[in-house]
Amino acid sequence: MSRLEAKKPSFCRSEPLTSERVRATLSVLKGIVTSCYGPAGRLKQLHNGLGGSVCTTSQSAALLANLPVTHPILKILTTSVQNHVSCFSDGGLFTAILCCNLVENVQRIGLTPTTVIKLNKQLLNLCTSYLKSEACGCRIPVNFSSTQILLCLVRSILTSKPACMLTTKEVDHISTLILRAFLLIIPENAQDHIILGKSIIVPLKHQRVIDSTVLPGILIEISEVQLMKILPIKKSDSFKVALFCVSLSGDLSDTGEGNVVVSYGVSLENAVLDQLLNLGRQLASDHVDLVLCQKVIHPSLKQLLRTHHVIAVDRVGVAVMEPLSKVTGTRPIGSLDSISPSSYGSVKELCTAKFGFKHFFHLIPNETTVCSLLLCNRNDTAWDELKLTCQTALHALQLTIKEPCVLLGGGCTETHLAAYIRHKTRSEPEGILRDDGCTQTELQLIAEAFCSALESLAGSLEHDGGEILTDGKYGHFWSVQADSPSVVNWPDLLSRCGCGLYSSQEELSWSFLRSARLPFVPQTCLPCEATDSAGNLTLDCFTAKLSGLQVAVETANLILDLSYVIEDKN
Amino acid sequence: MVMACRVINKRRHVGLQQLSSFAETGRTFLGPVKSSKFIIDEECRESVLISSTVRLLESLDLTSAVGQLLREAVQAQSNTYRTGTSTLLFLVGAWSSAAEECLHLGVPMSLIVSVMSEGLNSCIEEVVSLQVPIQYNVFDRMVNTKTFSGPETFSVGVYPFLQIPSGTGLIQKERDLRDVASQSLAIYSLSGRPVKSPQLVRSQDKVEADENTSQTPQTLKNSLLADTRCRTSVLTHSRHFSRTGNNQWISKPDGVLEQLSAATPKTYRCDDLVELEVGLSHGGLSSMKLVDEAVRLQYQNAGMQQGSCTVPFLFDISRIFTCCLPGFPETFSCVCPGYITVVSISSTALIKELQNQPIRVVLVEGDLTENYRHLGFNKSASIKTVSESLKVQRDGSEELWTDHVLQVLIKFNVNLVLAQGNVSERLIEKCTDSKRLVIGSVNGHVMQAFAEASGAVQVTYITQVNENCVGGGVCVTIWRSIPSDAADEINRMAIMLRTEGINLVTVVLTSPVTAQVQTKEDTFWTCAYRLYHALKEQKVFLGGGAVEFLCLSHLQILAEQSVNKGNQGCSGWLHNTSSWLASSVTQYRPTVLKLLANGWRRYLSTLLYNTASYSSEFEAGTFIQHHLQNATDSGSPSSYVLNEYSKLNSGILNSDISDKLEQIPRVYDIVTPKIEAWRRALDLVLLVLQTDSEIITGLEQTQINSQESEGFLFL
Repeated sequence: MSRLEAKKPSFCRSEPLTSERVRATLSVLKGIVTSCYGPAGRLKQLHNGLGGSVCTTSQSAALLANLPVTHPILKILTTSVQNHVSCFSDGGLFTAILCCNLVENVQRIGLTPTTVIKLNKQLLNLCTSYLKSEACGCRIPVNFSSTQILLCLVRSILTSKPACMLTTKEVDHISTLILRAFLLIIPENAQDHIILGKSIIVPLKHQRVIDSTVLPGILIEISEVQLMKILPIKKSDSFKVALFCVSLSGDLSDTGEGNVVVSYGVSLENAVLDQLLNLGRQLASDHVDLVLCQKVIHPSLKQLLRTHHVIAVDRVGVAVMEPLSKVTGTRPIGSLDSISPSSYGSVKELCTAKFGFKHFFHLIPNETTVCSLLLCNRNDTAWDELKLTCQTALHALQLTIKEPCVLLGGGCTETHLAAYIRHKTRSEPEGILRDDGCTQTELQLIAEAFCSALESLAGSLEHDGGEILTDGKYGHFWSVQADSPSVVNWPDLLSRCGCGLYSSQEELSWSFLRSARLPFVPQTCLPCEATDSAGNLTLDCFTAKLSGLQVAVETANLILDLSYVIEDKN
Repeated sequence: MVMACRVINKRRHVGLQQLSSFAETGRTFLGPVKSSKFIIDEECRESVLISSTVRLLESLDLTSAVGQLLREAVQAQSNTYRTGTSTLLFLVGAWSSAAEECLHLGVPMSLIVSVMSEGLNSCIEEVVSLQVPIQYNVFDRMVNTKTFSGPETFSVGVYPFLQIPSGTGLIQKERDLRDVASQSLAIYSLSGRPVKSPQLVRSQDKVEADENTSQTPQTLKNSLLADTRCRTSVLTHSRHFSRTGNNQWISKPDGVLEQLSAATPKTYRCDDLVELEVGLSHGGLSSMKLVDEAVRLQYQNAGMQQGSCTVPFLFDISRIFTCCLPGFPETFSCVCPGYITVVSISSTALIKELQNQPIRVVLVEGDLTENYRHLGFNKSASIKTVSESLKVQRDGSEELWTDHVLQVLIKFNVNLVLAQGNVSERLIEKCTDSKRLVIGSVNGHVMQAFAEASGAVQVTYITQVNENCVGGGVCVTIWRSIPSDAADEINRMAIMLRTEGINLVTVVLTSPVTAQVQTKEDTFWTCAYRLYHALKEQKVFLGGGAVEFLCLSHLQILAEQSVNKGNQGCSGWLHNTSSWLASSVTQYRPTVLKLLANGWRRYLSTLLYNTASYSSEFEAGTFIQHHLQNATDSGSPSSYVLNEYSKLNSGILNSDISDKLEQIPRVYDIVTPKIEAWRRALDLVLLVLQTDSEIITGLEQTQINSQESEGFLFL
C-alpha cells in the first residue's frame, strides 16, 4: 500500500539580494575569504566539532570544499570559485573577494541591473585586453632560459600560504624542488606541441621539510615485510613489466544481485585460484620480470611468481596507474584470461629505497617524464596545506608554459589596473560606451565601484593594521605602518612596492589608497631592465589571475541579475 | 547542513590559552625525575597510572580543535623519534604564553610569527657548537673497557646547573692507552690558529677507508674544512680528558668541538659506549642498563655471524623485543638472546618433549583460522553451498580444515608454528595432541628474525607450505614459570625459542606492581631510541640543560643587539620584505625575542625544580639568572657553557667531590629529535596564533544552545 502525500508548494522569493539575511551571510563569507588572503592571511580551523580531524588552512580549495553553504546566492559564488580553482588551482581567494566586493559596491549605487551588467562587461573587456596587450605595465614576459622569474613565481605561491609553516630556508628548498620537478616532466625532444608528463607527490609526513626531495621515475610505497620478500634484483638493461588494473586477490568478482548456488565440494575460491596460478605460469613463461598490480595479489600467486624469479608488487594504488602505464608503455591488464604480449612494457632500472621510515620501490623508466616529489612536513595539517600549495605551484608553472608571462603580485597589478581604468573611463568614455545606451555618469559610477573593488581587494593583503598607499607614477601598491605622521617624507618610511619592482628612492607622489585621487596615466610598457635587475619579485600566474578576474565579474553579474529564488520544498 | 563559524581571537586569544592550559598538565614530566599521575575516569571508576606525555594525552579528553592539534603534534613526535614529547609539550605551553604576551604588547601578529620562527632558527644554528661527535668505533672498544654498574648507585645529574654526586663509582674507567699513544700528532699554536695537523690528515685517511660505512659525508666534509679554516672561540682548562690541565677548546667552523693541547691532542669526542649510555639515560638508568645488555648481545651476535668485522656493527632497534611479566620483582628484569613469550601451562608436557632437539618451524603471517583470508580479499555473501547427500555434517568444515592443516604439518615434519595473528583454539588443541606447538600473536619483527635465522619463508595460508618454506634448527626451552595472576587464575609460563645465530634479543621487563609495567616498557623504549638516534647520528648534545641555557643566553644577546644596532643582520627574517612590517621589525624584535627567551627560562627553571634541588621555581630562576649574567659578561655564551662543563669535572664548583671527578657522569642529549621537538612546538603555537576563526561543519543551528551561540555566525 502506498501513501500519497500532498506536495508542498514551492517557495519563491523576489529580489533576494535586498534581504538583510542574505547581505549578512554574504558579508560573513566575505569576511572569511578576505581574512585568509595573502602571506599574512589568517588561518581557519575546519573541523566537525565531534573530534574529527582538524584542517588548518587559508586556501580556497580546502576552505570551500568543506564549507556547506545553504543560501543559493552563496552557492553560486562558491561553486564558480571552486570551478575556477579546479581549472587553474591558483587565484581562488582573489576571485571570491573580488566578486563579493563587486556585488557589495554595485548595490550601493542603485542602478538597474541591466546597466550594471552591461558596463561591468565593458570594464572587464577593457581589463583583459589591456592585460593581454604588449603595452601592459604589470606584465612580465617569462624567459625560460633563466630560472629567476619562475623561482619567484613559485616562491610567491609558497609564501602566500602561511599554514605550510615554512621558514625562509625551507621556502627556498621547496621552490627549487618544485622547479626541478617541473623541469623533469618536460620531454627532452619536444616537437611542435609538447605533452607534459606528471609529477606525483609522495607523502612522507612527520619528517623535516628539508628532507623533501625529487626523484625521476615512480616511487611505490611497500611494507618492510614486502621488501624482505623481494629477491635481490638482477642486473639488467631492461625489465619486462606487466601491469594489472584488476584485482588478483582471488575473490569472486561481483556476482550481482541474488544468490549463487554451488553444490557441496565445489570451491569457487579454488577455481579462481587455479585461474590465477595459470596466469602466473603464463607470466613466467613470457619472461616477465616485474608484475605490478593496482589492487591485491593472492599470496599463492606471489609465491608462484617468486619461485620463477618474478618480482610482484601489489597495492600500487589508482593514483600511479596512469603514469605507470604511460612511462612503462604497458597496457593495463583488466582480465584474468590470457594476456596479449603487446600488453607488456619495460622499465630501465629497478631498485628499492628508504626515506624516513618508509620503504619504496623505485622504477626508472626509459624515457622519463614522470617524477616523484617526496614531500615532508612536520605535522599532518601543515603537510596537507603544503601539498595543495605545491600542486598549485606546479600547475602555475604549467600554465606559464602555455602563456609565457607573469603578472606582478603583492597587490600591484590590482592598483595599477584600477588606475588604468580610471584614466581610460575619464579620457575615452565614448570608446567604452559605444552605443550601449548608457550615460557617461553611469559609466563613471560603475567604474568607481569596479576600481574600488579592485583596490579594496589589494587592501585585503594587509591584516596587521597597516595603511595602503599608491603612487602617482606606476600605480603600484605600497604599505606603511598605521598612524604615520601626516606630513612625512614618504621615501623614508617606505621601502619597496608590493611586488618588489620599485623602491622608494624615486619621488612618486604617494597618496592613501582610500583617499580621493586625481586620475593619472599609469606608466605602461615595463622596461626590460627593470625586471632583470630586481632580485626577489612577488609574482602571480597570468592565466589563473586573468581567469579569476573574468569569473569574478561574470559571477557578480549573475548574482546581480537574480530576481527570484524558487525553492522546491519537497 | 549549516556551517558555524566562530571568531576565536577577539582581544584574548582562546586558542593560545587552551594550549597553555593543556601544556600545564605535563609540567611534572620534564626532566629526569618524573612524578607519576593517576588519571581517574569519573564514570567507570577506572584509573591508570601514567608518567609520560604520550600516555597523558592518550588519556585526556581533548576534543577541541586545538587539543586535537596538540595531540597530533605529540603523536607525530612520538611516532618519529619516541622521545622529546615532554619537551614538546612544555615548550608549547611556554611559547603560547609568550605569543599571547606579544599580542598584549601590541606586536603585529605577522611579526610575532617571523621573529619567533627565525629566533628559534638562530638558536638551532647556535647550539651546533655544543655537539659532541661519537667515535665511530664505540663498539670495538666496549667489549674490553667498562661495564655498566648497578643502578642503585646512581643519582640524577643535571649539568651545568645541578650535580648531585653519588660518591660511588658508577663507571669504572680504565683510561685507554691508545689515546696516549696517539699523542703529539697535532700541534696547535696557543693563539688558536691551527698549524699543519697530522692528526686530521690521519683521521681523513680513516674516513676514506670506511667512508661509506661509518662516517657520514657531512663529517667527512667537516674534517676537511677544519684543516683550512681558522678556528675561533678558544677555551681553556678541562681536566676531564687529560690531567695536564693545559688544554684548549677549539670550536671548529662546523661547530664540532675539539679539545686540544700541546701535550695531549685529543678531540673532544664521546668514545665510550657506557659513558654515552649513562649520559643518555636521563634518570632511567635501570632501563638503560637493559638497553646496554641488549646492544652487547646484538654486537656479540653480529661478531659471531661475520667472523671478521668487515661490516661495521649497527644497532638494530627493530630486533629488540620486550616481554612484560607483571608480578615478578624488579630484579628479574633481564636480557636474553632469542624470543621469550608466555604460553599456557598446559603445554608443559609438550615443551618438555620438544626440548633439547632442533625442531622445524612454519611462519604464518596473518591469522591461522579457517575463515581468515588475506587482506584485500572480499568475501562474497551471495554464495550458498548446497549438499546433495545428507552424509556431510554442517559443522564439519572447521574440522576438515584443522585436519588438513595437521596433515601438512605432519607431512613436512613441522613441530612449531608461529602466527602473526590469532590461531584457532581447536587447531591449538589438535596440534598439542600431536606434539606440535602453535603460538599466535607473534610480533612481525620476531617473525622476520626467525625467517632469517631458520631459513623459513613466511606464508599466508598453510596450503602454501612446501619444503622451501619450512625453517629448521629452532630450540624451545621452558624459561620460567609465572606466578598465577589472581585476576584470571590462568597458569602460564614463559618459554624461550632460539635458533643458531638469530638476530633477536628479548628484554624481559618485570615489576611487582602491574600498573607500573607499562611505564617500565615506555621508559625502556625511550632509552633504547635515545641511544639508537645518538648512534645513528654519530653525535650528541652536551645535555642537562646546557643546550637550552645556550639558547636562552643567545636570544638575550640577540635581543640586546637588535636594540643597539638596529636593523642589521635581520634581513631574511620576513618572507615578504616589501611590507611595512619589514621596516618595523626593529621596533618589535627585542620584545619578541625576550619573550621567546623567557620560554627557555621557564623550561630551565622547571627542569631544575623538578629535579628537586630547588625548593621553588623562583629559586631555580635566580640561579639561572646568575649564570646567565656570567655568560653574557663572558662575551661568548657557548664558551661559558663549555667552561662550566669542564670546571665541574675539575671540582671547582663542587670541591668536595674533586677526588671523584672521574665518577661524575656526563649528561647527553640527542640532537635531531630534540631540535625537531622545539620546531614542532613552535610550529603548533604559530599555527594556532595565526588562526582567527574556527569553522565547524555539519552543525545545526539548533544544536548550539543560546548560551554558546554567542560568537557563532551562520552561513
